[in-house]
Amino acid sequence: MAQETKAREDTGTDGAGHTAVGRRVTRLEGAAKVTGKTVYADDMKLPGMLHAKALYAPHAHARIKSIDTAKARAAPGVYAVITADDLPDYKRNDSNRQGLIFPDKEVLFRGQPVAAVLSEDPHVAEQAVEMIEAEFEALPAVLDAVAAMEEDSPLVREPLHDVDRSEERGHVSVETEETEQEGEPSNIASSAPFARGDVEAGFAQADVVIDRTWRSAMVHQSYIEPHSTIADYDISGELRVWTSTQAPFYIRDELAQAFGLPESRIRITATEVGGGFGGKIYLTELMVAALAIAVQRPVKYIMSRKDDMLAGTPAPYAHIELKTGMKRDGTLTALQSRLIYDSGAFPGAPMLPGCMLIGGYYRCDNIDIKGYEVLTNKVSVGALRAPGAHNATFAIESQMDMMANELGLDPLEVRLKNAVGEGDPMPNGQAYPAIGLRECLEAIADSDVWRRRREVEATPNRGVGLAVGGWLGGLQPASAIVCLNADGTLNVTVGSADITGSNTSFQQIVAEVLKVPLDMVNVETGDTRTAPYAGMSAGSKTVYTVGRAVKEAAEDVRQQMFELAMKRLEVEPEDMEVADGQVQVKGAPDRAMTFQRFGKLSTNFGAPFPVIVGRGSITARKMAPGFSAQAADVEVDPETGQVTLHGYAIAQDAGFAINPLSVEGQMQGGASQGIGIALWEEMQYDQHGRLLNANLLDYRLPTARDLPPIETIIVEVPSEEGPYGARIVGEPSIVAGAAAIGNAIDNAVGTRVDEVPITPERLLRAMGKL
Amino acid sequence: MRTFEYRTPETIDEAISLLKEAGGSARPLAGGTDLVVQMKERATRFPYPETIVSLDRVAELRTIDFSDSDGLRIGSGATMSDVATHPAIQERYTALAEGAGVVGSLQTMNMATIGGNVCNAAPSADSAPPLLVYEAEAVIAGPNGRRSLPIAELFRGPGETALESGELLAELRLPVPPAGTGAVYERNTPRKQMDIAVVGVGVSLTLSGDTIGRARVALGAVAPTPRRAQAAEAALEGQPANDETFAKAAEAAATDDCSPITDIRASAEYRRHLVKVMTARLLAQAANRAKGTS
Ligand SMILES: Cc1cc2nc3c(=O)[nH]c(=O)nc-3n(C[C@H](O)[C@H](O)[C@H](O)COP(=O)(O)OP(=O)(O)OC[C@H]3O[C@@H](n4cnc5c(N)ncnc54)[C@H](O)[C@@H]3O)c2cc1C
Repeated sequence: MAQETKAREDTGTDGAGHTAVGRRVTRLEGAAKVTGKTVYADDMKLPGMLHAKALYAPHAHARIKSIDTAKARAAPGVYAVITADDLPDYKRNDSNRQGLIFPDKEVLFRGQPVAAVLSEDPHVAEQAVEMIEAEFEALPAVLDAVAAMEEDSPLVREPLHDVDRSEERGHVSVETEETEQEGEPSNIASSAPFARGDVEAGFAQADVVIDRTWRSAMVHQSYIEPHSTIADYDISGELRVWTSTQAPFYIRDELAQAFGLPESRIRITATEVGGGFGGKIYLTELMVAALAIAVQRPVKYIMSRKDDMLAGTPAPYAHIELKTGMKRDGTLTALQSRLIYDSGAFPGAPMLPGCMLIGGYYRCDNIDIKGYEVLTNKVSVGALRAPGAHNATFAIESQMDMMANELGLDPLEVRLKNAVGEGDPMPNGQAYPAIGLRECLEAIADSDVWRRRREVEATPNRGVGLAVGGWLGGLQPASAIVCLNADGTLNVTVGSADITGSNTSFQQIVAEVLKVPLDMVNVETGDTRTAPYAGMSAGSKTVYTVGRAVKEAAEDVRQQMFELAMKRLEVEPEDMEVADGQVQVKGAPDRAMTFQRFGKLSTNFGAPFPVIVGRGSITARKMAPGFSAQAADVEVDPETGQVTLHGYAIAQDAGFAINPLSVEGQMQGGASQGIGIALWEEMQYDQHGRLLNANLLDYRLPTARDLPPIETIIVEVPSEEGPYGARIVGEPSIVAGAAAIGNAIDNAVGTRVDEVPITPERLLRAMGKL
Repeated sequence: MRTFEYRTPETIDEAISLLKEAGGSARPLAGGTDLVVQMKERATRFPYPETIVSLDRVAELRTIDFSDSDGLRIGSGATMSDVATHPAIQERYTALAEGAGVVGSLQTMNMATIGGNVCNAAPSADSAPPLLVYEAEAVIAGPNGRRSLPIAELFRGPGETALESGELLAELRLPVPPAGTGAVYERNTPRKQMDIAVVGVGVSLTLSGDTIGRARVALGAVAPTPRRAQAAEAALEGQPANDETFAKAAEAAATDDCSPITDIRASAEYRRHLVKVMTARLLAQAANRAKGTS
């Protein structure tokens, strides 16, 4: 497969005669980014703009007794201090972090914003925040999700009603029955069961049964650019927001509902996103818009790194109990699991995808899975690239290795034997479409890391491990517009934020359909007023869905040109084709009209043709799940517990890699994050719910020196609906890292750590050396 | 960040008089990699400075000289990059080159000064164990002239030094290591860079033949200050340079020479364990270096 990608690069075609898709293309916006020209939200300045700084709750759980802002208001340079009492009218939604701008009675986590100071000078605002005199009465803080489930646990908060789950659905489409907890108030926000067959009978058939509990730390998306938002509201009732988001239309809809404004009066611009990974959907926008409405001036709010770590939407801690049984021949006979996701102070933990994946990689007749989403007095969680997936995958993929080891079976063979394929049921009974899980396993077998396995294992304290990971993907309608310019070049407008290079893929798709050089096509993400609708750039669905709309829009342009050319070329559209920047008669390239001619004829004074505008509009109902297999080569220092990575490989099914360069970038980026989750990343809280490492020195992301070269192998099992067979790409790469590294460590030193990150100290303890 | 006065003297004397003029609320600024972060986070161990006296333009603070007769003189304003890449330091003060060479990242090393590292007085400061094993003298300049102190006496507690308000660390003087000396510094961190030592160990061994003449061992991040490990040194001096001796000394270091705490980076128990493992390893490495140079 790697060779295939290479061949493409050399010849510029993938054998299917493609001229633009399937080629390695550098990013449209890349030059601006690397030369520092990109304008991020924080670079923007509006006339009369005020800076907002927030007061964050100093308790994990407390009643608000009083907030006295008199001193802060009186400080020179302070324009206003806004608390819950000073906010404009809005439809408050307590079930939703974003929908509760400032609390008025109860604070639910340390770092929850309770008031804001506005000033023309951000430093003045920051100093004035310290002058707000807020009094709290501490309440019992519930910090452990497992203990929080007990009937006699104190409650995290006043009971909730009507939980809004629209954001979660942007990331993954799971058809299931999820029950909001009813009856006695409890900290369990929701639960969901998935069962088939008879697990007891399944365990009875097994030759080996493993029953373990796996824990994974709360981790932060750690995008380089913290949350950044500017809002402006004018007396005509027009609300504008510039914000670093993956989901401009979603924010528009939420703000419209909250303020009772028509969506047509709201204009959200998704500024260039300096990293999102699922964490930049919707967080601060309602607050900033409310502040702007309150003072009738533009307001900018930029989170510091610390603010973002305290009050962003990180990924949950999970506690996963898993019991699995396998027969001597490697057949998986039963799988039983209880998955507990710590949601923080608001519902929204990705428990469902965890349930779907823990029982979704392997065929198994007997499953019994129950997921719980539990509230605690910690910051509420959100999505992080394949939300909930790595936690569950760490459990099942560790146990697959453990069972294989006990039975003396090859870990790769055992996986191949059980791996799901087209038609196999997911835990909710839905059948998989065509997927490439098996193909990824076959491809990873061919990686350098896996092929050198025997040789590596012969070295003391070195080992190689393997794991798979996947993501089901989100689904949402999408649309696009392609306009022919007077000089024959093309402008593409979409409503999807570009967080991964998707606009570059759209450029390739249009160039492919119309057979023009890439530089004749430009792509723009419009704002929610100028762009046609697109779903949020989440759930790995952007190229899969918006790409289809773009393709349709380009085909529409082509069809319009064919029809307009009928008179002049004297043939029917069926006998025309596009090539080399012109419409020509098939087999007679000299009977042609150039794109430039179409451009002139459709725009000049008195021109005969109507303007050529192509439109693409689709709905997406078919999933195109993406899988990857990953292999790690590690060395353990047996005296310090330090783990060094010597090699790493990832094989991922992209369906069809429209831009192999960016697909590989996604694979390497996700794998790096998976490695970080495996070895370093962990938000550490103390017994008062205080985050102890709210900075990137003590919250350790892997640096370039910690990562080995990451070998990438693109697998292509076409999806049914995606453009050129493309399927979801962005998320699957993060999922397998924790398990692959855990398995490699076990292979190296015969020790399993049941908790990620596998810190040197945890490993040394598990080895019995501390 | 709160507002403050910013001064830019060009000589040590001028800096000292500016500090004096501003009184207790003034603070010298070198590379700012500790101070600016602490000010932003409101985490200074002293009152938030109202005046910042930048040492950036004080050229005399940046020099590094070495001579066989006088040894090494490092201006407090020399950056970690200056120190780590200086030929005489790389050749004769290997442990110091190693300590300076692990600070943060390349960008950090280009800003961070050795004086700032010492005066910030973190128990984990990476230049401290090397300076302790080389028995550096701190030359301090103040309103009443100059004084000097052994580096071990400069460190008083986490973030605390023997400097009086208004005093500056001017330079560090390191004697020439005796012939037959091998020295090494290493730290343990979860990441390979951009990290703070969980434990730092510096050792210096002077061998005559196979016998250890002089031994210096210093530990970082396992006590309120970086400190010498006297019990380990005693277990080494006069003994044969072999694994058995190193193991005994390592045991002594872990048992008697440290009082680690549990924090977010590691437990006390793990730190103690690391002191033992690392001290034994580094002693063996230093002995090899000593043999290479003698
Ligand atoms: C990203 C990052 C990574 C880091 N990694 C490491 C690391 O790996 N190892 C490590 O040890 N440290 C590390 N640090 C801490 C810091 O870089 C070092 O301690 C550095 O040497 C401080 O030097 P500076 O010149 O920046 O000092 P400054 O921040 O300017 O000053 C530090 C303190 O010393 C005082 N001071 C400075 N110069 C003098 C002087 N001549 N006389 C009297 N007082 C003075 C200042 O008033 C201040 O209190 C890191 C910091 C950052 C931001």
